[in-house]
This record gives sequence, C-alpha cells and structure tokens, in this order.
Amino acid sequence: MSGFSAIGLELAVVVGALAILMIGVCVSSERRSFLSYVAALFVGLVLLSSFLVSWPEKQAFFEGTYLVDGLALFFKRLFLVAAGFVLVMASGSSRETAIGVEFPVLVLIALAGMMFAASAGGFILLFVALELVTVTFYVLVAFARNTRRSLEAGVKFLIIGAVTSAFLVLGMAFVYGATGTMNFDELRVAPIDVGNKQLFDIGLVLVFVGVGFKLAAVPSQIWAPDVYEGAPAPVGAFLASGSKAVGLVLIVRVMNSTMLQGETLWAVLLAVSAVASILYGALCAIPQKDLKRLLGYSSIVTAGYLLIGLASGSEAGIGASLYYMTAYTFAALAVFTVVSIVFGASEPAEIVGLAGLYKRSPLLAVALTLSMISLAGIPPLAGFFGKFLLVKSAVGSAGLKTGLVVLIGVMVVGILISIYYYFGVIRAVYWVAPSKDGKSIIVTRSERVALIMLMVGLVWLGLFPGRLIRASSGAVGSIAPSRQAIAEVVKHDGERR
Amino acid sequence: MPAIEQLVWGILLLPLISAAGITLFGLRRPRLAGVLSVGAAAGVAVLSLLVFTGTPFGEWWECSAEWLSVGELNVPVALRFDPLSLTMGLIVAWVSFVIHVYSLGYMRGDRGFGRYFAGLSLFLFSMLLIVLAGNLLVLFIGWELVGVSSYLLIGFWYQRPAAADASKKAFLLNRLGDFGFLVGLLLVWSKTGTVDISELECKLALDPGLLGSLATAAGLLIFCGVLGKSAQFPLHVWLPDAMEGPTPVSALIHAATMVAAGVYLLCRVFFLLALPGSAALELIAWVGAFTALLAAVIATQQDDIKRILAYSTLSQLGYMVMAVGASSVSQPPVAAMYHLSTHACFKALLFLGAGSVICAVHHEQNIWRMGALGKKMPVTFVTFLIAALALAGVPPLSGFFSKESILASVLESNVAARHALFAVAVAVAALTGFYMTRLVAVTFFGPERTQIAGQARESGMILTIPLLILAVPSAFAGFWGIDSAYASQFKGAAVEHAGVFGRIAAAFTHSPVATLWGLGAAIVGIVTGLAVYWNAATDRLPEKLGLVAGWARNRFYFDELYAALNEATHEFLSRLADGVDRWVISGIMVRGVHGSIELAGRLLRLTQTGNIQIHAVLLGAGIAILLLIVLRH
Repeated sequence: MSGFSAIGLELAVVVGALAILMIGVCVSSERRSFLSYVAALFVGLVLLSSFLVSWPEKQAFFEGTYLVDGLALFFKRLFLVAAGFVLVMASGSSRETAIGVEFPVLVLIALAGMMFAASAGGFILLFVALELVTVTFYVLVAFARNTRRSLEAGVKFLIIGAVTSAFLVLGMAFVYGATGTMNFDELRVAPIDVGNKQLFDIGLVLVFVGVGFKLAAVPSQIWAPDVYEGAPAPVGAFLASGSKAVGLVLIVRVMNSTMLQGETLWAVLLAVSAVASILYGALCAIPQKDLKRLLGYSSIVTAGYLLIGLASGSEAGIGASLYYMTAYTFAALAVFTVVSIVFGASEPAEIVGLAGLYKRSPLLAVALTLSMISLAGIPPLAGFFGKFLLVKSAVGSAGLKTGLVVLIGVMVVGILISIYYYFGVIRAVYWVAPSKDGKSIIVTRSERVALIMLMVGLVWLGLFPGRLIRASSGAVGSIAPSRQAIAEVVKHDGERR
Repeated sequence: MPAIEQLVWGILLLPLISAAGITLFGLRRPRLAGVLSVGAAAGVAVLSLLVFTGTPFGEWWECSAEWLSVGELNVPVALRFDPLSLTMGLIVAWVSFVIHVYSLGYMRGDRGFGRYFAGLSLFLFSMLLIVLAGNLLVLFIGWELVGVSSYLLIGFWYQRPAAADASKKAFLLNRLGDFGFLVGLLLVWSKTGTVDISELECKLALDPGLLGSLATAAGLLIFCGVLGKSAQFPLHVWLPDAMEGPTPVSALIHAATMVAAGVYLLCRVFFLLALPGSAALELIAWVGAFTALLAAVIATQQDDIKRILAYSTLSQLGYMVMAVGASSVSQPPVAAMYHLSTHACFKALLFLGAGSVICAVHHEQNIWRMGALGKKMPVTFVTFLIAALALAGVPPLSGFFSKESILASVLESNVAARHALFAVAVAVAALTGFYMTRLVAVTFFGPERTQIAGQARESGMILTIPLLILAVPSAFAGFWGIDSAYASQFKGAAVEHAGVFGRIAAAFTHSPVATLWGLGAAIVGIVTGLAVYWNAATDRLPEKLGLVAGWARNRFYFDELYAALNEATHEFLSRLADGVDRWVISGIMVRGVHGSIELAGRLLRLTQTGNIQIHAVLLGAGIAILLLIVLRH
C-alpha cells in the first residue's frame, strides 16, 4: 500500500468538503439544507469503503509520521459514524436557523482532522491534526452568530483552547528535549538520562493536559459546560462524540509509546485525573437546569470513566474504554438529536421544557429515555455493558493495588449520583404535565431514521456486545505486539550493556 | 443432527416472535393476533413432533448458542433434548395448540383479544424454555417468565377486583417460592461451580459427597420453587383463586402445564435430590401426600365448577410430588412423569369442558344452579365423562394406568412409613372418585335447577372439536408406552407390555396389591358419590358430616389464617419500616447524603463563574496541582 492510498479516506473527506463548498455556491440559499444530506450520504459511502479496502495490519507511512493500524481504523470509523449523524441533525436544524453552506464543509474538515489525528505516528502530526480539529471547532461553536450565547461559548473555547495548546507545545518540547525524538515508535525505545527524567515527566503531564482538552478531563475540563450549553446542538453532539474520541485515541497513542519509561507516571496521572473528573462532573451536574449544560458535566464524568480503563493499563482496560466511548457516542448523539428537534439548534435547552414530551412525541421521549438509561448505566443497554467492562478490567488488573480499588469506588459513587440527575430528565419527560403551548413535535423522516438507528445501536450493543468487544480488543491488540517487540529490544539492550 | 438443530430454535423462536408481533402490531387487530398466535402454536406442535421422532429412542443430545462471552465469563443458552424433555415438550406443545384453537372460540369478541394471545404466546415460549433448558440458569429465566405470563393472564380481566387480587396473590406466592429456588441455585453453583445440568450430573455422579452436608438444604431450597409453582402446601392458596382468569388459561396454565413444571423440575434435578445422605425426598413425599389429601377433602365441598377442578388439580399435583418423593435411585420417578402426562390431557379436557358448560349457562359457575345438561350438550358431556373417569382411575382409561403406577411405586418405595403414605394415596383415590362423581352427577344429571340450565345448548364446533381431540389421549394414552419413554431417561429398566390386554393384565400382575386397592378405592368413591348425589336437589353431605364439611367448604380457613398472619406481620414490619425509614433512612441517610452532595455540587458550581480569566486561573492551578501530585510519586 502506497502512502497516498493509505491516506485515501482522509483525502476523500477533504475532496468531498471542497466539492460541497463549490456546489453550495451555486445553490440558492433556500435549498441549501440538502447539502447536509449529501454530506451525510458521502460520509456513509466513505465509511462503507473503509470496510471494502484490505488494510495492512500495521504499517507506517511518510517516514513514520502516519500509521495505519487497527486502532486508527477503529477510531476513523467511529468518527465517520458520528459525523454522519451530526450532519443529519444539522440538515434538520438548518431549516430554521439557516445554518448555511459552510456548516457541512466545516464538519467534514474537522472530520478529516480527526481521522489524521487517529493515525498520528508522532507529535508533529498529532499537533497539526489536533489544531485542524480545534480551529474548525472554534468556528463551529460560534456558528449561531446571531445569538450571544453561541459567540460567548466560541470565545471561551478559543481562549481555553489556546492556553491548553500552549501547554501541549511546551510538553512536546520537553519530551523532545529529554528524548531527542518526536516519533512514537522511536520514543518507545529512546533511552532517557536520569537527569532528564523529570523534564520528561513534566512534558508528559503537559501533553496530557493539552490532549485532555479534547477529552474534557480534569484539569482542562473547565470549558465543557459553557461550550456545550452555548454551541448549536449538532456541534455539541460532535464535541461529545468525535472530538472526545480524538482525545481518547491520542492519549492511548502517547501512553502506549511512553509506557516503558513512564508506567507509574501514567497510572498516577490517569487515576488522579479520572477521580477528579468523575467527582467534579457528577457533583456539578446535580443542580443543573439546562440539558445541554448537564451533558457538558456528564461529558466530564465520561472522560473520567474512559481514563479508568486506561489507568488499569491492561489491553482489556483500553479495550473497555474504546467500548465505552462507542456506547457514549451513540447515547450522546441521540440526546443531542432530541435536543435539536425539541428546542431547535441554538436555543437553550431547559429541562423544564421537556415536560410531557412523551405526549408530544413518543418517539423522542423513548429515544431520550433509552439514552438516559444507557448513560446512567442500567442494563441491558450499551452504557451498562461499557461500565461493566470498565469495572471488570479494573478489578481484573487491580490485584492488591489499593489505587484501583479507590478508582472503582469513585466510579460507583459517580454512577449512583448520575442516576439521580439522569432520572430527573426522565421524570420531566413522563411525569410532569406539559405546558399549555406544548404542541406535538414534527420529526422529519431522516431524523426519525437516525434516531431509530441510534436506539437500535444502544440496545444491540447492550444485548450482543460480542462483536464490538472483538473489534475494540482487536484495535488495541494491533498496537500491542509492538509493546512486546520493545520489551525484547530493551532486553537486548540490557544484555549488550 | 444438524437438520434438527435448526428446528429446535424454531420451537423457541416462533412463540416469541408471535408474542412480540402481537404486542407491536396486533393489540387492536384481533384477526392478526389470532392467526399469529395459533400459527405459532401449530408450528411448535409440528416442530416438536419432528424433533421427537428425529431423536433415536432413549438417546439425548444438547445444543447451545453463546449469548455472550467476555473473557472467562461465558453465558451460553443451552438446550437439552432427552426423553424427559422431549416427551414433556411434546405434551406441552400439543395441549397448548389445542387450547389455542379453543381460545379462538372462547375469547371471541373480547376487547383484550390481542392482549390475551400475546400473553398466551409469551407463556408458551417460557414454558418451552423451562422444558428444554439444559442449564439451571436458563430454566430459572423460563421459570420467572411463566410466573409473569401467568400473572398477566390471571389478571386478564383486570377491571374485576377479584381477578386483580388473584393475580397479585399468585405472583407474590410464586415469588416467595422462587426466592428459595434462587438461593438453592446459588448454593449449588457455589458448591459445584456449574449450573449446567449434564455437567452437574457428571460431577455429582463422580463425587456424591460434593455438596456435603448441604445436600438436603440444596434439595429443599429447590423444592421451595416447586412449592410455589406447583402450589403445594403451604403455598397452595393461590391456585384456586387463579381460576379468576379465562377458562382456557386455567386449562393450559393452571392445570396442564405450568403447575406441572414443579414436578418436572423435581424430575430434572432428581439426581440432586436423591444424593446419598439427603433427606429431601422423604419430606417432599409427605408434603405431596398432605397436599393431595387436604385438597381432595376441600374439593368435595366446593360448589364452583372451576374451583372443584382447581382443588382436584392441587390434589393430583400433590400425588405427583408424593410419587417423586417416594422414588429413589433404584426406582426413578417415572410414575410421577407418567401421571403428569396423562393428567395434562384429561385435566385440560375437564377445564375445557367446564368452559363449554360455563358458556352454555351464561357464565354461571355454581354447579347447584345447573343440572340435566347431559342431554342438551352431548359432546361436552361424553368427553367430560371420559376425562372424569380417567381422573377417577377407571380402567382402561389413561388415568388408571398412571395412578396404578404411582400407587405401586409408593408401595415399593423405601420411605420409612411407606404404608402410611400408601394409605393416604388410597384415601385420595377414593375421594377423587367421590368428588368427580358429585361434579358429574350434579352438573349433567338430576333436575334442571334453574331456568338458564334449561335453556343451555351445545357449544359451537370451535369449542367442541378441541374437546374431541383431547378426549383421545385422555382415553387411550395408557397404551402408548409413555412410561417406557420416561423410563429410558432414567437407567431403571422399563417393562415392555405388548398389546392392549397385555397392558391391562400387566397392571394387575405387576403389583396386584396396589392396583386392587386403587381400583377398590375408586369404586368406593364413585358408588358413594352416586348414592349421595344421584338426583340430589341440594348438597346433603353437610348434614351428615357436620363440622368437617363446613371446614372443607371454607377451605380449612387457610386463606383467613394467612390473611391474619399476613396482617400481623405486615403491621409489625410496617411499624418497624416506618421507624427505620423516618429516622435512619430519611433522617440520617437520605437527607444527610443528599444535603451534603447537593451542597458540594452548589459549592463546586461556584467555580463555574463564566468568567474566562477565572477559568484560565483554575486551569493553571489544576495543572500545577496535577504536576505536584504526579512528580511526588
């Protein structure tokens, strides 16, 4: 496989974005909503083609900066799925808020950035792809430019994003300074002098902070509630699904390449961040009255859960995080779709406004209920199984390490608290009488199809998790052999000395 | 057997698809609901016959599908096909098919037609899951599901308070028993490490002492589930009340199949009950005998046609449980399963006949308001009579053979007080003859006691054809060698009787004492019944027996006793719970936890000021703290 066919998926998405931009110019503004459909269909086609190509098991391109392996492919497919649903959601919203031709184009460009990031073979591509995603999101978050909330959210996102990017660059520089390489494969086996160890550790913490910005993990979680609340609903959905997954895959990559030198560092770092994220997010979510803001806090809690899987350090743990990410993606997409239908893309989403939703639209009520139940982690839905896998992997690797026991305890506390605020939403849907102007809600056919697909996904993943478990453990396995190889290299190294 | 393996999943899936299909699309479309449900039942009947004939006699096989597999945790859905499950499955499938057809006529025009058939299909699925389960966990899932569907169907006419109460009572008492079953299941699991039936049997065969001193406890805990589902004393009170459900439901669930599942379970795990050192079987035998006697006495003084049959069912179930209890490794519980099979046919027929009668007299259920129906409803009368005689144990009908084999097995058992047990069994046989004679004589003969009884007419074809179909096995099942099918399950040798007369003769030569006593008891019961009730205008028994009859009429006050007990415990528990709730849970735990969490939430929210400078400072502080923590390790 040549380099250009290796980046074929990304190229296709970029070309698609440009094509839609050019078509959009020629289409009158009333008829632009179909551009989102076209983009969604196109994304679906790219997703399909990703299954038709036979990918190499593991291969590096462009002098090691670009990797094709199971992990990259897993996340690319996840991004494509998320982008497809986001575009369908946007097509529905565009009727009212005139979201315009640029929206699908920007989504596609962010998508291309995410896909490049998943394949990052070194810090250079990591940074460039991450900035491509982040800069696109600055525009997307502030897209409803006639509302103050959206603009404010954009500015906050921009400033916090700029600060964390600065930390990221600084961290990269420290790691480079300590090891002399930017490439992940070389980083694995790079010897570090004792004097440089502290520099290396600080560098890793800063890189974590920078990448954790995407994941919304403590300490770079502070933007999430404001931005989720202010951004248009489809953008919020993309933040919760694609953008979050970018953070996850990049942390997995960096962690995997520095595991030998920094095993205890990662364990402590991830555990501390996970505990803080879960407690912070869960506690702050309790008094929330806006559903989008609630999702912002829930997103922070989710980041904590994802980090627990990574903190256990085992293949099963990372696989569990991948599984949970997928389950969360489905639930978050469904909730945001409902929000954008009920409240409109850029209006505030007061939970009170959901009162009597089941009378106004049973489909939306069921979709919202299923996603809330899945987020709360109640069987038999996908979220339950994800949490089950996370706990199981943590228990499996815990042995006698007290740290992981604390982690599991915190996770249980987080789950218990989350049941409280998720069920507050369900209560509003079923047991609160609708206000007088509560008319029945019209759901377009494409939105209905999307919601049903998401619901089927939630139930299917919960009842028959086998396939996704195999896919995620395969993805993790594809980066694992190199670990073994390194261990051998290190052993040889030791023998030579 | 690849072809058969494809078929068996169809057996389970057809009713499930039907239940789901009706719930989704058929609740307001009675025609669709009827077609789906009866079609599924017919498919199951045919498939079960194919699987039955496709399995060589006396062999067994399993098939399983993996439900989920995560690391070491494997949860397979295992199905087991051996003579026991195949024969039982065949009976369940065919009896339910006939009753499905009957329901089409009986339930016509009911507003909940679709709901009824959805429940019936769900029941069929869960019952087959119990029968075919190769794994105690799967069996337990089916066990709970039949409880649910039984609840739904007893309370089918939920507008009637009596039906709603009855369904609740049935569900709660079943749950009580199921709890014991679940504990027993967990006990077996923790001791042996498996819930797979074949594996369990192998392990216990290799090491009979595996359960150690807990063998009796495990057996009795599993028996708790049977107490609930098969309505044995002291959990027997729900079954008579369950007659509030539609009559076909009473026939299918509360006579032929579900209540028999308890007996089936006992036979399924017989190897566990019969472990050396376990005293479970003896207790089981006495519980069964007591239930049989108690229910038979009560049945003699009931006036509601369905309640008489319900108590009769209780009594016969007690009989089967007693037969299981009287069995041993050398003498396996073939007789119990034999009686279960014949009883399923003739008791279903009795209930369907009662349904036909009830329809004819405009939903009157008191037998003393009927009379002289024999001439007006010939088909119902003849089939009902066949079933009643079979139940009473008159040769050459099917009930005679199965009852004879139970009596013989009790007499030959190694239970210490087997003669006492045998005496009880004979007494029950006499009482059975007596109350069935009373039922038939009062309902079908004698004077027309009311006007509606005079206007009664034979029911339509859709009700009478199922009666005729069921009459065939009720009469002739004794000649079909059902017992040798069951005997091949257990390693005990089956006696092959050839020919019709050979079989009848064998019943007398094999164990003449038991057979003669049983036959004598039946004749005594029938003759006494005729003497008291032939052409009777009112019940003359109470004046002759006095107090005993009054007690029997009032069901020995069990319901009142339970209600009082329940109220006392309830009162005590509710006071206790109220105190705990008010002071401990609500005061300290809920308010305390809720308050502190809420407070923490509100405090933390203060950090989200919306001020971007403060956000940046917090971010910086967070990074600093993180660095501090990480670098100190």
